Amino acid sequence: MPLLDLGAAIAIGLAYFTIIYLTGLGGLFSERSGIVNIGLEGLMIVGTVMGAWGAINWGPVPGLFIGAISGLLFAMVHAVATVTFRVDHIVSGVVINVVALGLARFLSQLFFGSSSQSTSGVPNFDTIDIPLLSSLPGGLGRAFQDMSPVTPFAFLLLIPVIFVLSRTRFGLRLRSAGENPEATRTLGVRVAPLRYGGVGISGTLAGLSGAFLAIEVNALYQEGQTQGLGFIALAALILGNWSPTRLMIGALLFGFAQAIPLRLDDAPVIGALPDQFVRMIPYVVTIIAIAGFVGRVQPPAAAGKAYEGAGGA
Amino acid sequence: MAVDTRPAAPPAQPAPARRARRPWLDALLVQVVAVVAAFLFAALVGAIIIMLYGESPFFVYATLWEFSTARLSDVARVLEQATPLIFSALAVAVAFKCGLFNIGVEGQYIVGMMTATMAAVWIELPLSIHLPLVVLAAVAGSMVWAFVPAILKVKTGAHEVVTTIMMNGIAVSLVAWALLNPLRTSETGFVDLRSDRFPDSATMPALAPSLGLEEQIPASAHLTWLFPLALLAALWVWFLLNRTRLGYEARAVGSSPGSAEAGGISIGATQLKVFLISGALAGFVGLNYLLGDAGFLGINYETTLGFTGIAVAFLGRNHPVGIVLAALLFGVLFRGEDGVAVATDLPREITVILEGLLILSVVVAYEIARRVQLRREAEIRREVEVEGGAHATA
Repeated sequence: MPLLDLGAAIAIGLAYFTIIYLTGLGGLFSERSGIVNIGLEGLMIVGTVMGAWGAINWGPVPGLFIGAISGLLFAMVHAVATVTFRVDHIVSGVVINVVALGLARFLSQLFFGSSSQSTSGVPNFDTIDIPLLSSLPGGLGRAFQDMSPVTPFAFLLLIPVIFVLSRTRFGLRLRSAGENPEATRTLGVRVAPLRYGGVGISGTLAGLSGAFLAIEVNALYQEGQTQGLGFIALAALILGNWSPTRLMIGALLFGFAQAIPLRLDDAPVIGALPDQFVRMIPYVVTIIAIAGFVGRVQPPAAAGKAYEGAGGA
Repeated sequence: MAVDTRPAAPPAQPAPARRARRPWLDALLVQVVAVVAAFLFAALVGAIIIMLYGESPFFVYATLWEFSTARLSDVARVLEQATPLIFSALAVAVAFKCGLFNIGVEGQYIVGMMTATMAAVWIELPLSIHLPLVVLAAVAGSMVWAFVPAILKVKTGAHEVVTTIMMNGIAVSLVAWALLNPLRTSETGFVDLRSDRFPDSATMPALAPSLGLEEQIPASAHLTWLFPLALLAALWVWFLLNRTRLGYEARAVGSSPGSAEAGGISIGATQLKVFLISGALAGFVGLNYLLGDAGFLGINYETTLGFTGIAVAFLGRNHPVGIVLAALLFGVLFRGEDGVAVATDLPREITVILEGLLILSVVVAYEIARRVQLRREAEIRREVEVEGGAHATA
């Protein structure tokens, strides 16, 4: 197997990693606050269409920003439904996904005059070469050339995320709201704002991820371009046991799994598998993990449960 | 959201008056108020969006209605759209009554389409045997796909929401593989991947010729025998849930697993059976498209029917009658889209927005209604206790 191909495959894998990791991190904040969010795919979809629109009109930075803000606003629907009205989290998440499909068609028609896609060539960032790594010998350096600056940003995000979750007042309270909301309330901390925050961050990151996909990866908006990556992010989150570091490892694995059918057809063993079976890997691995055949994953204790608030009212 | 528009239940009513009302009537009233309020709220927000476009909401709503009901052929198209949604919503509802969330109808019906295609193109038989066999193949394929999350739930406790989501992802790749390999047509000249064309013996007959309505309903409206079958399925689901032992056990497990087990019901066995029934219903979802419309399986097959079915099930309150009505409403919105596109300057996608608004407000309104209900029941119970205490001392 030529190294040039491997380098190219890693480059694609890193792009997919960025999408899966950003979305998964969003899900992490939501679920650590106690709100299950299976609407990540829908939040990403809104990010793709809004991000592409923003980038076409004002360039890549406003595009990513608009994608993230749109995700945040759309996630508020989930927050209002689950936190304020205590609708079942799965019900609300499904609704988010269903509504996002229609909303995206509507917005696409509005922005691009076509319900299914924008014009191609959405303006994006100048690519960057990672110092040192991009000059690796053989074809391996290709993996780190012509990279979107969003990808290193996603990697670096791990540090502030860990800091926020384990060292700041907000992060600790957010986690306590997801583990034991009654105790959180007993300590005089209100649970609802924390959960709104968690869901809001999930929308922001999923929207950003969707905008990244439309602007930086495909340079166009296209109906169905998320291809279930929101669900793969959910899978990485579960497999990563709701920890940011392990989520990163999961996102790297699943990101490369996405790239194999595209670039590594002649790789030993895995190249012999039909592409479609390679694409199944993330899902199969997650089922095996959730069924407890290999290790045990442990979601936040109160995730998925409505918190009735002080006094039950 | 929808809360404020809803007239609040009169809490200040004197206790005897409330107790005189029958509890089931009370419950029904709360439900009806919730649905009406949700519809009004969605229509109102929809009207605001329509007015922002400079169109009249009344005209748009009237157009939606007229375009889907004016002629028999329009009604046929509405029923065509409603057919798969009835099946998928029933599949969701059956599982839901047992406390299970089948997000996997999507993957189950996709696999069902694949197995149905295999039976359609690989086997040669006369229609009276072939067609039932193809339907059976779809049901079997979907049931296999439902069996995996079901058995994992029962044996390992793996949450069915996660496993069914993953099974959906696997299904898409599996069907893509099948279309690329064993099912790929040997005919050339097609741009997209597709299977062989099905023989007539594996095609679902249209309903119109049998009713003598060929004149009014053109063949382009793919209203087939699957629609009456969907109504029968709704009836059967009602019967199953309300008049059979399994239905009783399913509802018991769904509403209170602890008491169900204490009452001698095996939770695992019940969940497994119900999930398989849900999967069997999912098998019918793709058939109107596959056997009544396309006549082959192509890579651009109809998707999201499973997810829309979940929305229809919510809207229909997981009740067979509600589901049929909700599916018809979705059919009306889908058909009315063309009318909106022709008669107004609105993008046709406005109907999808109306759908979304409706689902959101209905979900919230039902949840509020449920809580109102619980509170009332608790109040009545308290009153009964207080009165009982008074009698004892008298």
